[in-house]
Formats: sequence, structure tokens, C-alpha cells
Amino acid sequence: MVIADDDDFDPHLLEEDDFVEEVQSFEFWFGAVEGYLVDRPYGRSPDTPDPELDDTRRDRLITTLCNYCVGETAALEGASGLVRLAPNHHAKVFMATQVVDEARHLEVFLRRLTDLGVVDTATEIQKRANPALLDFKSSLLELVDAGEWDAAVFAQNVILESMEFTVFRSHAENADPVTAEVLQGVISDERRHFGFGENDLGRRMADDPSRRPRLQEVKEQLDRIVLSVFEGALDDLDVPVADRPRLGQEYLETVERLGLT
Amino acid sequence: MADFLSQYSIQRWLEMCPQGYLEDTVYGRGADESEAEDLLGNETMLDAAITATVQLVVGERCALAASSGLVNAAPDYPSKRFLATQTLDEARHVEIFTQRLYDLGVKKDKLEDEISDRANPHLVKFAEVLLEKVEAGDFIAGVVGQNIVLEGMAFSVFEMMEAGNRQLNPKFAHTLRGTIADERRHVGFGENRIGSLIQEHPEKKPEIERMQEEMTYHMLATFALAFSESPDEAIQSNGDSPEAEWHGTNLATATPEEMEAVLAETVLGEFKTRLGRIGLEYQSPKSPV
Repeated sequence: MVIADDDDFDPHLLEEDDFVEEVQSFEFWFGAVEGYLVDRPYGRSPDTPDPELDDTRRDRLITTLCNYCVGETAALEGASGLVRLAPNHHAKVFMATQVVDEARHLEVFLRRLTDLGVVDTATEIQKRANPALLDFKSSLLELVDAGEWDAAVFAQNVILESMEFTVFRSHAENADPVTAEVLQGVISDERRHFGFGENDLGRRMADDPSRRPRLQEVKEQLDRIVLSVFEGALDDLDVPVADRPRLGQEYLETVERLGLT
Repeated sequence: MADFLSQYSIQRWLEMCPQGYLEDTVYGRGADESEAEDLLGNETMLDAAITATVQLVVGERCALAASSGLVNAAPDYPSKRFLATQTLDEARHVEIFTQRLYDLGVKKDKLEDEISDRANPHLVKFAEVLLEKVEAGDFIAGVVGQNIVLEGMAFSVFEMMEAGNRQLNPKFAHTLRGTIADERRHVGFGENRIGSLIQEHPEKKPEIERMQEEMTYHMLATFALAFSESPDEAIQSNGDSPEAEWHGTNLATATPEEMEAVLAETVLGEFKTRLGRIGLEYQSPKSPV
């Protein structure tokens, strides 16, 4: 394996097998997170200004963060179940890095809720959770429990992660400074996660095209839920209706690259 | 409980581990450290080192499967978050010990063959007993099996190997020190979290004690087979060094029987203490090994 200790190192220049081994390793994760997590306890620099939010904005942010916690819990439980299903040890190690990333996301969002004055986070999350997101979580965990690696990676690392990536990026553009900084760290992780999903499924479908119909089926089953989750999240963020098709485009492009439109 | 679990947050783990004792390491050792020349140049020693390292990979693969499987069985979110860090710790251990096999000359395309040829069958059975509990979603039994029994065994084995390699193979000793630091955290979580759960569910005690008895049987059988077939690499790779002293035994001069005895005594002593702390009584295996 090539060791990523050079600032100019580009894993994309490696041969395919070496690339997979490199980017799915603990060492790669270690190098990647060092840059954006050092000196940022709970995802934020202690010096970042944290102006008080008015009541409406604060309440809206609490709802948004509660739903982020639901999404991250789904991802934590999904990723930990996927370690067992991973078809090789490199994929197991990658999934283990994703488990800790998702647990960190849950922790930083819970911490932000506490900063905003939420005392009983569990009750607040339960109260404000978008039902469509809870449906998505159940569907994802059913695929994991059924031992369906391809379908569960598709639901988790392609659908859920690209939804989160899109919503978090949109949110970070308009968020208060602390929430924006926390989101930037999370976005960096999500990029790695859906990169894995796209790469792994892309190679597996190229090797065996008979895998494609099942993924198409899963996509069709989840499309309605995904749409409701997107709508709910963008409503909470008060994103103008005119901007929403542009945001959904990223998810559609990823699905299209996998040939699953 | 909440206060104790706050010590096991992701943030704390990031500060202690990746940003702490692993900082500036590559595969758990210094970037400029390599395996001892004496070891690489001696076929018998090299073979013993590969066999010993294969057992570490087998044990860590079991720990990775168990800790990731326990995330979903955990009854509260702080425990899930701790087990997430443990999942990544175990994945790292799999990676660094696999890397050591490559450093010792195992070819990548022969890795799985070497592991299945050399894996100690008793260690494989030991893993199966634990993973059966994890598969069943039994959190209390799973954590006792993983964080008290498996990690307790790993902790002592790593400490012994670290003492034996400190002088003549500093690279491997360095790798082991990082894993020992991780295992200490895992055992601490097991003791702290499970005590209260055992108190809440006393009806689980007999079943958990049976699992401990079975795992202990396979552990002792693992040691017996390992030391009868091939003495631990520590004994072969060290000269007569006072630094190789571990629990009153000089690992540089001890016979395989003496090493097996000190290891078994140490691990069993640790089990008794740790099980006592969580309200369980150590069960001796029924069949003599």
C-alpha cells in the first residue's frame, strides 16, 4: 500500500486495486480527518463567534438539527451493520471509519442542540422528527438486517449521504457561524462516504450487471420517501421553492452515474 | 452513568487516540521503524512471527465483528458512540497486524491462505462463542465476552509480547503499545458499563458465566497449542535482557511451558478481578486442557 504522508499525494493516480486499498484504509481516514478536526472540539473552533439567534430562527434550527440527528442515527446503525456484510476486509475497514464518522456527527449535532438550550435531546428529537425520515431509516435497516450489501450501500452511501451532502451544503451557506463550521466538517466526511458508495457499487455492477435491477427496484421503492425527506428538510431551512430543483440535481446526477435513472 | 459515559465520547477519543498517542505514527509505529534484521534473516523465527501475528489478526477480526455488531444492540446512545470508536480501533488493529504480515514477507495474494492455514482452531472456536451472542443481539453477554474476556486476554498477550520485543524489535513493540492503550479503554468501558446492567438483569448471570467458562476453555487451549507447536516469537527474538521481565518471568530465558503458565495465570487473575467488579463469579473450565 502507498502511504498517504505526502501533501501532494493523489490516490487517483494509483492503479485500481491500490486505489481501493489506499482510500479504504484507516491510515487514509486518519490523514483525511486530521486536517479538519484538529483544534475543533465538537466540530467547532472555540473562537468562532456564536451570536444569539432570535426565537424563530432558533426554533427552526432546533427542528433541523433534530432531523440531522435522526439521519445520523440511521447512518450509524446502518454503517455498523454493514461492517459484518462487507465483502472484503478493505470494505470492512472503510465501514468502520464510517461508523466513527457517523457517531461523531451525531455527537456534534447533539452538542449543538445542547448549546441552543435543549435539555432533553431525546424527547425533542422524537417530537420533531420528520416521519418520512423515520420511514427511510426503517427501510435502510431492513436492507441491512436482510444482509443485502449492494442495496444497503445504495440506500445509505448513495441516497442518504447525497441527500445529507446536498442539504448540509445548502444549510452551511446561510447558517450561523458555529453551525456552518460544524456542517463543514460533516460535509468533508460525507464526500468520502458517497465516494465509497459510488465507487464500490459502480465496480460491482460493472463486474456483474445482474445486480442492477435490484438497485433499480430499491430506488423506486425509496423515491417517494426521499422526495418527502428532501421537501421536509428544505422547508425547515426555508429554501425558496425555485432553488429546490437545483439542489435535487446533485442526487439525480449521482444516481444517473450509476445508470439507475 | 451519564458522567462516566461522557468520558467515552467521540471527542475524547479523537483527542486521546488519533490526536494523541497515534499522532505521527504510520500503521501504529514510527515512519522510520522497521522489523528487526535478526528476525527477517532467520527462517525459523520469521515463521514463528508470522504464525503469532496471524493469531492477532484472527482475534482482531473477531473483535471488529463483535464491536460493530454491538452498536445496534446498545441500549443507549453514549454506549453506541463508544462502541463506534471501538469498532474503528479494532479495524485499525486488523490493519496494522495485517500490515505486519506484509512486512514479514507474506504476499498480498496469499494473505487469506496464510491466515486460514495458520489460525489456531481453538482461537476460531473462542471467536465463534462470542459472535453467537453478538448475532443474537445480546448486549450484556456480548460486552462481557468482548470487552472483558476477549479484550482482557488481548491486553495480557499484547503486554507480554511488548515486553518481549521492547529491546530487539522496537518497531513491533511500538505497534503493540498503541493497541494496549486502546484495549485499556475497551476493558474500562466493559467494567463500568456492564456492572449496572448485570445488577438490573441478575437472571442473565448463569448464561454469561457459562459463556465465560466456554471462552476460557478455548483460550487456554489456544495457549497450550500455540506454545506446544511453536514457541512465542518473543522467546526467540530476545537475548537475555532484564527488559524482557514480565510478571516475574524473564521472557528471554523462559521455556515455552513457563511462558504458557505465566500468561494463563496472568489472564485468569485479571478475569477473576474484572468479573468480580461487575458482579460475576469466574468459572473454571470443566475439562482440563
